[in-house]
Amino acid sequence: MASDFTQQIRQKAIELLENGTVECVIGYETGSDGIGARPAFIYDAAEADRLVFDNTCTHNLVKYLLNKKGKSTAVVVKGCDSRALNLLLNEKQIERDKAFVIGVVCPGIVEWGWNKRSQRLQKRCDWCRQHTPVVSDFMVGDPVTEQPPAAFADIVEAEAKTAEERASFWQQHAERCIRCYACRQACPGCYCTDCFAESLDPEWVGIRIAPAESQMWNTIRAFHLAGRCISCNECERVCPVKLPLSLLNRKLEQKVLELFDYKAGMSEDAPAPLITFKKDEKLGIAE
Amino acid sequence: MTKTLSKNELESWLANILKERTLVAPRRVDDLTLFLPVHSTDEIAFDCSNTDLSPKDWFFPRTEALFTAEHKDDDIEITPAVIEQETVIFGIRPCDAKGIAILDGPYLGDPADSLWAQHRAKTTMIGLSCSTPAPQCFCTSMGGAPYDSSSVDILLTEVDDGYAVETVTEKGETLIQGVELKESDVSGSVPSCDAQVPAEGIAEAVKKAFDDPYWGRLADRCLHCNMCAYVCPTCYCFDIRDRTEGGKIERLRTWESCQSKGFTKIAGGHDPRADKGSRLRQRFCHKLLYFPEQFGPLGCVGCGRCVVSCPVNIDIREIISDIQELGAKVGEGSN
Amino acid sequence: MVREATDKVDVNPFVPFPATLSRVVDLTPDVKLFTLELDNPEDEFDYKPGQFGFVSAYGSGEAPFGLTSVAYRKEGLHFAIRRVGTVTNSLHQLEPGAKVGVRGPFGNFFPMDDYKGKRIMIIGGGIGFAPLRPVITTVLDNRKDYAEVVIINGARTPQDLCFAAEFDDWAKAPNTKIELTVDAADENWKGRVALIPDVVADLKPSPENTIAVICGPPIMIRFTLQGLKKLGFGDDQIVTTLEGKMKCGLGKCFRCNVGEKYVCRDGPVFTFEQISGFIEQF
Repeated sequence: MASDFTQQIRQKAIELLENGTVECVIGYETGSDGIGARPAFIYDAAEADRLVFDNTCTHNLVKYLLNKKGKSTAVVVKGCDSRALNLLLNEKQIERDKAFVIGVVCPGIVEWGWNKRSQRLQKRCDWCRQHTPVVSDFMVGDPVTEQPPAAFADIVEAEAKTAEERASFWQQHAERCIRCYACRQACPGCYCTDCFAESLDPEWVGIRIAPAESQMWNTIRAFHLAGRCISCNECERVCPVKLPLSLLNRKLEQKVLELFDYKAGMSEDAPAPLITFKKDEKLGIAE
Repeated sequence: MTKTLSKNELESWLANILKERTLVAPRRVDDLTLFLPVHSTDEIAFDCSNTDLSPKDWFFPRTEALFTAEHKDDDIEITPAVIEQETVIFGIRPCDAKGIAILDGPYLGDPADSLWAQHRAKTTMIGLSCSTPAPQCFCTSMGGAPYDSSSVDILLTEVDDGYAVETVTEKGETLIQGVELKESDVSGSVPSCDAQVPAEGIAEAVKKAFDDPYWGRLADRCLHCNMCAYVCPTCYCFDIRDRTEGGKIERLRTWESCQSKGFTKIAGGHDPRADKGSRLRQRFCHKLLYFPEQFGPLGCVGCGRCVVSCPVNIDIREIISDIQELGAKVGEGSN
Repeated sequence: MVREATDKVDVNPFVPFPATLSRVVDLTPDVKLFTLELDNPEDEFDYKPGQFGFVSAYGSGEAPFGLTSVAYRKEGLHFAIRRVGTVTNSLHQLEPGAKVGVRGPFGNFFPMDDYKGKRIMIIGGGIGFAPLRPVITTVLDNRKDYAEVVIINGARTPQDLCFAAEFDDWAKAPNTKIELTVDAADENWKGRVALIPDVVADLKPSPENTIAVICGPPIMIRFTLQGLKKLGFGDDQIVTTLEGKMKCGLGKCFRCNVGEKYVCRDGPVFTFEQISGFIEQF
């Protein structure tokens, strides 16, 4: 199945490039360990045979469309990635008619590291109920029926801990954060030209790489993604010190679902709850 | 005949060291292995090939106060930072130790960075040579070796029943004083790192390929996070900013990397390295061309951490190979 | 050239000399001239035209500024500082008497002796004129050592000409011409309204025995350079002082480099002949 996906993607890429429909096809190719995929930018039909699709294609390629503004670009998206596309369309960061979306019905992505094979599915794929891209111009694979919605078991488990246990847990992780900002750079929802973390006036965080500042950084980033995070979990995957960032993002995802019955990125037009004001809205807070 | 130490004797020695000094060693924390202080030798991960982050944190901390300033009457009192704690780093690999040693170049070049000098003076390194290099290792291609003792104070090599001990410096001799070493007839193979990365003449090749569109294409997938620079034992760029807490002002130095957008943005808003390609190129030029031109050795020791960590597989070994090819073509084309 | 390690490792090079702000003068709506006096007489700060220093606003940070005074006049350390960011904003809040810090002098300098006997053109725009002022001062204080002096100073508006208070003195010096220009005039302005490169083209200076020292926004430098070359100036006759984002000034944080050159150590003064040889072209 994977090899068939690969063939279909390559064919489409050749067609799009030869016709001049796009300047570039952003997809995946095999990396230097021969095991895992990495993003690939194909500008010439002759190079389309670099493209592959397999269960190591973890990266959210939609982020790269922000570097290709104004240019016709094709992008390979899985289910989660397609929701990121809707997010960026909804927030007017990219133009729909400049993007050619090659949707791939996702087989689930495995946990892998450089030179480390694995067949175990990533956590996010266990949680995922959107294997079929929600937006596409060309679909690879047949749409799948999803299982019923998953409960937020990881959040329930985390919240079962006492306040002290949780404080200690997050303190430990805050000590480890080196503020490389890989989480931010990998995230399609993080695209501010001047990130709050680097603001000097006002100084919200400061440059010190220490627990207090790192807590601020990670917590506020999660808040900025509330109602926007599409759970690709790339932030957690790329983190060099393995911070459990999914707990923060998913807690807020759970809350947004509960308060607004809203999942980010399901459509280009759905009004985003945290920036939409409804006069008759009651959240049950302070009542 | 070689001087040797049994595993038990090593652990007793380390247990003694940690009574008086900070003992830093590879330690497992969840899924990571990091150079951290240990409170007992049980905490030491003797079997890790190398740590996830480099030990440079112990010489060039991720955050460090250069000095503190305090308003006193009408004046400002400045207290330069003083490093007092004696530290011993156990289990540092020859590549990482070499990484620290080559940073003496920029940091001790006139005018010397007195904090770096203090960290170096107060730290003794007990190195561990590598019996089995990891798949990402390529130290020999970069002028190092798995058994290179040139940058440590003592080098231990695993042998049957223990470790062969090579005391390299006076500091090492002082540290090992009182430890009884056995003379043993030890035979064993010299560990080797077989990865072949064509780094010979790389500086010249980088120079030739400087203007090649290769860098822009490579940068397409680069996320410009700071990760490669932060896991690297030899990246040493930093930011400086003041921080005030409770009336005391600290002038802080923190890690920063040339990859972040705005690294070179000047007052007034102009940024000479606004585009991704020139930023990515800057890092590799620094390591493979500018650093050797100014200080001698290549600015990469072949530890492979960036190869393992980069979320989009920007692989310095691949880049070196590609640039050699591109550099050779430039040579052919020119008359 | 390989840099050798030094044995002098006890002095913390990041610690500034204590200094007091002795005078603050408004030069333009967003530029002030700060005069700093070193608190300790034993602190050495002997500098030449073109060199720079880091001025500390404790609590905010420090930033590099070109020295706009000359050491031999012993008038304190002058810095013309434009308010553009956090550190400069903090500095602008300070009153005379405030305690600050200063590090330096850093960088190379204009080789004024090499310019003796030559015609000197000084072409600067906006705050870029600040590092050129010590060149003018040195030349005019040693008038007989140099040939004709042509000063071209431009700014966005008449209010943004930083050293307007000194123009009359400069114009009065023997064999010295001063051309002022603005991008946009106000109702009182009676002078030129033109971009600096256009003024250069209009004046048509001969390159014969001339050194042109230029400084200003990158775009001004680029077009002025083009114009001078069209008039026959060689790359070695055109000198500038580069700006780079800096943090340490010591050649350690590797932020200010242009290719293999450090603006803080190898520069900031470079001829265009040198600049065109840099591996990295900005």
